Amino acid sequence: MSTISTPGPRLSARGLVKRFGATTALAGVDLDVAPGESVAVMGPSGSGKSTLLHCLAGILVPDAGTVALSGRGLHDLDERERSLVRRRQYGFVFQFGQLLAELPAIENVALAPMLLGTSRREATELAGRWLASLGLAGMEGRRPGELSGGQAQRVAVARALITGPEVVFADEPTGALDQATGHEVMRVLTETTRLAGASLVVVTHDAGVAAWCGRRVEVRDGRVVADERRVPQGSAR
Amino acid sequence: MSAVLALAPRLRRAGGRDGRLTTALAVASFAVMTALTLSVVGGLLGFAGRAADPADAYQREYGDSYVVFAWTAVVLLVVPLLTLGGSAARLGVARRDARLATLRLLGVTPREVVALTVVETAWQGLVGAVVGAAGYAALLPVWTRVPFQGSTFSAGELWVGWPVLAAACAVVPVLAVVSGVVSLRRVVVSPLGVARRQTPPGMRAVRAVLALVAMGLFMVVTLVLGQLGAFAIAFAIGSLALGFAALNLIGPWALGLVGRLRVRRARTPAQLLAARRLVDDPRGTWRVVGGLGLAGFVAGALAVVPLLASGSAGDGASAAEVAEMRTFTGDLMRGALLTLAITFLVAAASAGITQAATVLDRRREYALQVLAGTPVALLDSVRRREVLVPMLLVAVGSAATAVVMMSPVFGVAGVTDPSGLLLLVTCLTAGCLLVLGATETSRPLLRSVLAETQVRPD
Repeated sequence: MSTISTPGPRLSARGLVKRFGATTALAGVDLDVAPGESVAVMGPSGSGKSTLLHCLAGILVPDAGTVALSGRGLHDLDERERSLVRRRQYGFVFQFGQLLAELPAIENVALAPMLLGTSRREATELAGRWLASLGLAGMEGRRPGELSGGQAQRVAVARALITGPEVVFADEPTGALDQATGHEVMRVLTETTRLAGASLVVVTHDAGVAAWCGRRVEVRDGRVVADERRVPQGSAR
Repeated sequence: MSAVLALAPRLRRAGGRDGRLTTALAVASFAVMTALTLSVVGGLLGFAGRAADPADAYQREYGDSYVVFAWTAVVLLVVPLLTLGGSAARLGVARRDARLATLRLLGVTPREVVALTVVETAWQGLVGAVVGAAGYAALLPVWTRVPFQGSTFSAGELWVGWPVLAAACAVVPVLAVVSGVVSLRRVVVSPLGVARRQTPPGMRAVRAVLALVAMGLFMVVTLVLGQLGAFAIAFAIGSLALGFAALNLIGPWALGLVGRLRVRRARTPAQLLAARRLVDDPRGTWRVVGGLGLAGFVAGALAVVPLLASGSAGDGASAAEVAEMRTFTGDLMRGALLTLAITFLVAAASAGITQAATVLDRRREYALQVLAGTPVALLDSVRRREVLVPMLLVAVGSAATAVVMMSPVFGVAGVTDPSGLLLLVTCLTAGCLLVLGATETSRPLLRSVLAETQVRPD
């Protein structure tokens, strides 16, 4: 699979350095992510992969280096503006806990467009369509605690994609699931992200999860040590 | 059992900074509760002492009335103080629930889970009681500056004695344990329910019926008060306590009802989130604003005081009688305002402490929301709405309840009289501002929690 033909990277990191006290989490990382590309960032615990995701997402500010989204540098933005970027142009899927326990599934999904100013009625209609498209029709009124792990992650995928983000970040999205459910969630995540035209950055230590992405980046001791493209699982079907 | 109990100190230490802060808040609440309760009991003993051994004609004439008023103040204050204690015992309940639910899932028996909670809350209650007893001693010089019956109390008159102090140190941990164990029921019954947060069952309307019965009973008792003879005051005070209990029954039920209405009408994310939280845990919201509700009830009941004060001395009264009446009504007003001030302070402490605990309990949820781009201002707005709307509802509603309940005795004159109405509105406004101010202390805590929370350390 090739991504060379794209006009420019959607997400671009250059020389990222991030230290926590005496520990260097990132020691000069360069990474480009093309539009529609799915990238798995792999590495053992403590390798710096989550720090990389947090820098790319504008959650952490790197000590050195730059991150640009569609050519616009995140380093020029203050916290409020970076928060706005995360709300408008990014989507997030975490391992667990991002869904609000008090809200039923449909309101958890509708909350994202409501935060961008969409009316509650419109947001709820849109959320209903997203849940139905992810096989969750009939479960709109259930709260996260009343959903299975796989169903809850599909709600999280709907919430991440409903605002039409440019990049979706997933941090160990299947970490709390069994293997079969994890694969189902990865299938939904990669397919839906591709159909929405968004790029996908998945942080994982699981090669089975990484196999669903078209590119695999290996991070060790805060550096990229391998970067390979491959045919993602599921695309051959 | 002993192996599990041996875990208690380790589990406590494992809480880290949050655990220490939660413990400090719980101990502080128990301390405030103990100090104020002992102060109120001291006041009661002071008046009882003067009535038993009057120093002058005025104390001989009016001493017994002061004892009745002091008892009324005790009844009015005991529920807010117990509510504060209850809030303290439930502090950090989400974290403890999750931890104990995990232990249950690992095979720890319900009895062992209860034992762990008993150990944890009992020592918090004990430390709080000891600190509170010291606080009471420190407050004595303040109370000795407040004049009653024409002279100030001496510290000796307001001293409750060592046996009462020892009793407080025994009773507070017991109350803490009872409250903590009651809040544990859902962990013991259904650990999965707690671990996975399911929709809570709605509260039954039978609460409203019981509350109405209690209120009706109070009104009937006050109507036939004259025929009860020597038992009249005991009946009136008892049914007032019943009215208070009724308010505690109806409060969470009414808040849940309002929450459901507000969910339907919510248009913005802040309105929706605040309303959903109200529906999710009306008892929790009641713990934040309930103290103010009870204070509102007290304020409503006290709205009649200016009326009583103005119509006391007859036309043909002598100068000495007029002076006596002036002292009596002045004391009545002072005592009423003092009771109200303590109630509002307790309500504000309850609200502030509960909100701080909520921020700590929800730290991971807040951090993930901000990470995904939710503005911190929205979290602030939700936090404020969670308190503001129920607070206004509860304060006004409970004041109105008190006015209705007092109507058999005083009619509606208590609030149609401008000075009574002014007192009521001023008290409620001051109380609401105090509670809002107390809840705003969790604003910097939210920011500090967000700055420090690592969602998933690499």
